Amino acid sequence: MNHEEICAKIKDMLVENLRIPAEELEYTSELFGDDIGLDSIDSIEIIAGIDNLFGVQMTGAARENFQTIETLAKYVEEHKE
Amino acid sequence: MSKRVVVTGLGLICALGENTEECWNAVQNGVTGIKEVKTVNAEGCYANLGAEVDSPNEKLSGEDYDRSSLLCIKAAGEALKDSGYEVTEENSDRIGVIIGNCVGGAVSIDKYYTAKKNGGEVKNTDVLKMPAAALANNVAYHFGLNGTTANIVNACAAGTISLSYAADLIRSGKADAFVAGGSDSFSSLAFAGFHGLHALSANACSPFNLSNGITLGEGAGILIIEDYEHAKARGARIYCEVLGSGVSSDAHHITAPDPEGNGQMLAINRAIKNSGLTVNDIDYINAHGTGTAKNDEAEFLSLHTIFDDNDHLSVSSTKSMTGHCLGAAGSIEAVFTVKAVCDGIVPPTIGYTEENLETLKEKAGNIDFVPNTKRVKDIEYAASNSFAFGGNNASIVFAKKPHDIPDRANKERIFVTGIGELIGKPRVEISSDNYKEYGIKMAFYRKLDRFSQLQLLSGMKALKNADITITDDNADKIGIVVGTADGPLTEVYNFQKNVCENGTAAGSAFAFPNTVYNAAGGYFSIFAGIKGYNVTNANSIQAGLQSLCYAADVIRNGDESIMVATGTDENTDVTEYLYETLGVMDKKLLGEGSVSIVLESGESAEKRDAKKYAELVGWASAHKSVEFGKLNGSESALKTAIENACKSAGVTPKDIDLVCGFANGVTEVDDLENRVFADIFGNIPTVRVKNECGEARSAASAEQAAYAAKQLESGEYKYALAAAFGVGGQYSAVVLKKV
Repeated sequence: MNHEEICAKIKDMLVENLRIPAEELEYTSELFGDDIGLDSIDSIEIIAGIDNLFGVQMTGAARENFQTIETLAKYVEEHKE
Repeated sequence: MSKRVVVTGLGLICALGENTEECWNAVQNGVTGIKEVKTVNAEGCYANLGAEVDSPNEKLSGEDYDRSSLLCIKAAGEALKDSGYEVTEENSDRIGVIIGNCVGGAVSIDKYYTAKKNGGEVKNTDVLKMPAAALANNVAYHFGLNGTTANIVNACAAGTISLSYAADLIRSGKADAFVAGGSDSFSSLAFAGFHGLHALSANACSPFNLSNGITLGEGAGILIIEDYEHAKARGARIYCEVLGSGVSSDAHHITAPDPEGNGQMLAINRAIKNSGLTVNDIDYINAHGTGTAKNDEAEFLSLHTIFDDNDHLSVSSTKSMTGHCLGAAGSIEAVFTVKAVCDGIVPPTIGYTEENLETLKEKAGNIDFVPNTKRVKDIEYAASNSFAFGGNNASIVFAKKPHDIPDRANKERIFVTGIGELIGKPRVEISSDNYKEYGIKMAFYRKLDRFSQLQLLSGMKALKNADITITDDNADKIGIVVGTADGPLTEVYNFQKNVCENGTAAGSAFAFPNTVYNAAGGYFSIFAGIKGYNVTNANSIQAGLQSLCYAADVIRNGDESIMVATGTDENTDVTEYLYETLGVMDKKLLGEGSVSIVLESGESAEKRDAKKYAELVGWASAHKSVEFGKLNGSESALKTAIENACKSAGVTPKDIDLVCGFANGVTEVDDLENRVFADIFGNIPTVRVKNECGEARSAASAEQAAYAAKQLESGEYKYALAAAFGVGGQYSAVVLKKV
């Protein structure tokens, strides 16, 4: 799976699980900033979603990894077995 | 002077025992009911504890109902017997049923879906076990009670709000007594949801101590709340007095309490003030005390802020033994609070080690948190607190001896000053433009399920239409009543489906907050900033119209000067599937929406020179128990609701010149309307709003009133009446007058 595919899968998961309108979600949108406005409950859902999709555990991962779809994808690539 | 209201009967079932005495003995002796869970598969979960009732459904009651109903019938049976209340044909319409509940028929949805998935047997009538609306109805039907009903579905505050509402209705003379309290069963919904939120404790919950999460429980607590004069006349044994209560909303966050405790303090202070007491009078508080860090911190702060000058206050959380019984919690704790007052015993909070006791000393200050062992002391006045998801708070005060409480009832005129409609069939179109109109950002609205979206948009539309801006000055003078037939059933069904397919550990933290029925009213209060009364009543199709009755009572009780009364129901693929499965109506008849009506006291409307659509001059609800899902045999209650609404308006049916009916295209319903309306009104125009909006259930019943109000504003009519039905025999009616 290449970087683009991982990003696409994460985006689909965010759209599906967190009801974020697809047209407002770019790979570089600030997820927890003013762009999308996610909160701590959403981060629990992201951790579960990433685990489901890629078998990658993000519990306890540093905050900066959750910034954008790009950073999430990078974390997945680095930790995927 | 305000009417005396008393407690004359108690019924209790929870993990500690199957009657009041068993539970009371256990709780005062610090016995815990928390064990490893049996009825939910906790595989893969980091927690596996719960406080379940041992008895299976068959042992609770004979009917094929959802477990919440069966637990409730068991406790109600004990309470009625304990009260010696003899229900006869003549008096049965003066005793009603008000039940608090959180998860509705989640256990039945779980069973239904699991059976379907595994090729097991399901019945079409299983659908009737799913909505919370069945609960009060099933209890009323079981015991032949024909007073009005309500299902207060305000999550963890539901059990306390139901007691408060029962006492208020008795004080205003609308009933002699209520079977009131709450019930909830142990569900994979709640377990998976709190697990998803990481709010379950891996160990037994430890309120005001380790505070690392809740432990769920199940059960039912029922109190017979009765007019003192009525109780005296029948020679009843009186446990104690029910004094004032307070209900409020945080307007802060959908799951977390306001860390500053402002909403909690408003509810507690209202309860004390409405009781004619001061903070130094309170001897005991049965705290909400869930054991989550956020609750315990906020509650510590609230209690210290209010009671630090009180040198004789004991506070305990019996949840440390019963677990958190959600919609039943407030009423189970009310039973313990009543017993505490009667016996002069404060039950403890358990779970403190020697080391914990040292820490507690620092945190407790002047307040005695009754760690580990009960306290024997004289209790004149005791309060029970409940705080819930959605930011709903409630507090109620019980007293050993009679105490005059301030009579706050007023004769204010009540006007319709705003209307917000969002209703249609089969579906209502919602786009991002709808949200933009009220400045609702995507980060907020994306959290909402359809039920909450509809509620938020109609509520904001009504406030705008009424030209009301919420400010620090008026926020706590405005309240909300949401009525619904089916609530967020789609979200519940989908949550449960995911848990059935993927296991308890897969429960979604994102979806769970929306599965509670009061989330919609919660989101509305948060966005709008409304901090007053906040209640959701799940009571079939008529709940939208019953909202107006409830809201009008809140204004007349002097609790708020403005109320937003709403009816909301969604229509989704799941709704269509369930109605089709049940076979009561063609899915093409269904509609959906939310209709909010702003009711305002004359004083408030005059002060801000508000536009008035109409005056609400009469309102009434009535009930004739038939099986939930049925109508046949309940016709007399429709007549009673209409007659009583006219009577309270000071008019006769002859004065009514426009009637808004509830006909929905189902033959039995349409025939009932034709028959009763012809009988009461003869030949006058009847409007059928459901021709346009379909059977949008609670939204449609609220729309009946909205339509009537608009006709009065623009037309030549003088008096209009709207009447609505609920399956199981609950009816409401309102009379509106041209201004």
